[in-house]
Amino acid sequence: MQRQMASSTRIEKGTTIVDVVGQIDLGNSPTLRKTLLESLKGTDRVAVNLMAVKYIDSSGIASLLEVLKEARQSKKRFVLFGLTKAVSQVLQLTRLTGVFEIRENEEQALAA
Amino acid sequence: MSSDPRFLSIVRAAVGQLGLVYGLTEESCRGVTLAVDEALANTIRHAYKNRYDREIELSCQAGADHLEFTLVDSGEPADSARICAKPLDEVSLSGRGTHLIKATMDEMHYEKVPRGNQLRLIKHLPAAKVTVEGESSPR
Repeated sequence: MQRQMASSTRIEKGTTIVDVVGQIDLGNSPTLRKTLLESLKGTDRVAVNLMAVKYIDSSGIASLLEVLKEARQSKKRFVLFGLTKAVSQVLQLTRLTGVFEIRENEEQALAA
Repeated sequence: MSSDPRFLSIVRAAVGQLGLVYGLTEESCRGVTLAVDEALANTIRHAYKNRYDREIELSCQAGADHLEFTLVDSGEPADSARICAKPLDEVSLSGRGTHLIKATMDEMHYEKVPRGNQLRLIKHLPAAKVTVEGESSPR
């Protein structure tokens, strides 16, 4: 399992997609937050691909939440897709499943 | 271990494997791993104020029917009034770590000990079986 976190950005059908890989924790969640906030500045729609995220802690969830708030304030769209069991479990435990816009895969994220 | 977050992934890998050996389900393993990781992260953030050059003592004991993780640090003691003080809601950006620990572990005990602050996390095992190399054997 990849222990570090890495991310890359691409644009598909007018949506900025941030592909995240690895484990999100206290050590790297500030980097993810910065990446996502930067992505949000340059577009109206950001989708985060979490298919390859095998772990996320509360600091990672807080980072996603902060970007969601920024998106709402600036009337932009922020979508999560490809949630692994690990990510889903933490979102459920923190009762945030209904707070984020969540799609099963990239196709659905782009279509919604 | 050092209070440097770079060590967290190593601890997570070990805790996850330990849970599997002691017969926890995959979901429970993820929960226990999350709880230990959140406890360490809380220690780094709150007890040591994000100083990465301090020591955290982490030990694990397997009882007949439970796994017990003990963390000891020499930083600022936890403010019991603030533990799980914030309700889980959409607005709050912080304070979710302790909720996650409570939700995934069966017992959580904060204690002041001569060496510093001690947190004990206990997970009850589903059955008294230990899996070794793919086989189950009674203990």
